[in-house]
Amino acid sequence: MRLLAALIGLLIAVPAWADCPLDLGRGTGIVVFSSHYLIAFRPDPLRIEVGEPFSLLFNVCTKNDKPAELVAVDAQMPEHKHGMNYRPTIVSLGEGRYRVDGMVFHMPGRWELAIDVRAGEESERLSHEFVVK
Amino acid sequence: MKRWLLGALLAALAASAVAQAPLPWSDDEVKAIARHGPWPPPAPSDPSNRVAGMPNAIVLGEHLFNEPRLSADGAMSCATCHVAGRDWGDGRAKAMGRRELDRRTPSLWNVGYAHWFGWDGAGDSLWSQSIRPILDPREMAGDAARVAGLLREGKALACGYERAFGHRPNGDDEKLLVDAAKALAAFQATLVSPRTPFDAFRDALVAGDREAAARYPLAAQRGLKIFIEANCAACHFGPRFTNGEFGDVGIPFFTRPGEVDSGRLDGLGKLANSTFNLLGKHNDDASGASALRTRHVQRLHSNFGEFRVPSLRQLGSGPFMHNGHFATLEDVVKHYSEVNPDRLHSDALPLVRPLALTSEQSADLIAFLRTLSAEAPPRPTPPPLCP
Repeated sequence: MRLLAALIGLLIAVPAWADCPLDLGRGTGIVVFSSHYLIAFRPDPLRIEVGEPFSLLFNVCTKNDKPAELVAVDAQMPEHKHGMNYRPTIVSLGEGRYRVDGMVFHMPGRWELAIDVRAGEESERLSHEFVVK
Repeated sequence: MKRWLLGALLAALAASAVAQAPLPWSDDEVKAIARHGPWPPPAPSDPSNRVAGMPNAIVLGEHLFNEPRLSADGAMSCATCHVAGRDWGDGRAKAMGRRELDRRTPSLWNVGYAHWFGWDGAGDSLWSQSIRPILDPREMAGDAARVAGLLREGKALACGYERAFGHRPNGDDEKLLVDAAKALAAFQATLVSPRTPFDAFRDALVAGDREAAARYPLAAQRGLKIFIEANCAACHFGPRFTNGEFGDVGIPFFTRPGEVDSGRLDGLGKLANSTFNLLGKHNDDASGASALRTRHVQRLHSNFGEFRVPSLRQLGSGPFMHNGHFATLEDVVKHYSEVNPDRLHSDALPLVRPLALTSEQSADLIAFLRTLSAEAPPRPTPPPLCP
């Protein structure tokens, strides 16, 4: 709830972000943001199953409405310091939208998703945690 | 005397009532146990194999599985090493082809649910994996022409092929070799292990049926608690008790002085170079979805010395591990109890760490593992190819 309030506050404070579509087609999504970027994404299928391939759909926006690029997506289990056995690929769908294929969380537990984005010379890594069971 | 007898009887009844009470299980533990079922899962499907699940292909596959003429000297069939009465393995520490090999014959139980095949995962489909031992000069030492010739010229096999594939065995030798392998895969995918005492306990626990859950031996319940506590399900995940991926659990990888088995690292190289992988022309899945893992899998330095996580269902009597390193289940549990963490080179929370089990705990863990097996019904004689 607090996150939602903060997000609404940010959208009001930064008008360019108000144009950033957060709905990725299934009425649900995850939002991560920094002072420069706002990223909405959701898994496809929505429920991530251990050992089963899934995709991620992204919408990448910037504070100043400049075009942004999704450079890389990866994930690791921080406790065990190992990553995925698979290398995802990124397909640009245009207008800041991306599809990332080839994700597999092969163990149950906490996975940290690393999202590398770039707008012009500025690049940044944003992250999000999943717990898969 | 009568009073003594009555007292003894009451004491025995009370003891048995205590012994049959299930251990307390938290909600999280019940959820963890529930994830190891239900069993059996829906029948496996394989879109890369157009005859998967088709009865006539399954019959042809079973005949081919028992067919020694697929081998160069006519002396070895798939069934030579994958013996039905030995949990579809051979009970040897190292497989014996035309000479002794470096790895153990893996069981074929539940192989249709896997996504990587062989101890090193060099196969990405059950049919491509079925080609490997036919062509391997250390094993059946066959070739595409021999297999194609059998299908074209053997009256019963040609008839069985036509029933399975809907046309006479035509096309080039390689295509017929692949078709034979697809029939072999259709048969092997039917080898689903039976329900076990664990499955009855799991279902009872999920349904909240205390009485049925209490029939599960207490030692196995204690062992299951150890299994959960030790996070064994990180790798031995889900209904098959494997996540189907690869790990290094500290088994020596020297095969002989100066020679190592690099496991998954080498397997991924073989996968990339195989003309029979799912990225090739023999994949029947036009959508390309079945090749997703093959397209995205990455070869990492950490793959050195990794081997496929085996299922814990129908473990059999051993030997165990990819190279038969341990003769008994007791040896395997002792290994996990005493494994040297330095050998695993982990700079984080290790997935495998010494469990330091007491002898009672080891016995409980073994009791649990034994409940993941059940006697399989005897296998009927395969129906004739063309009655």
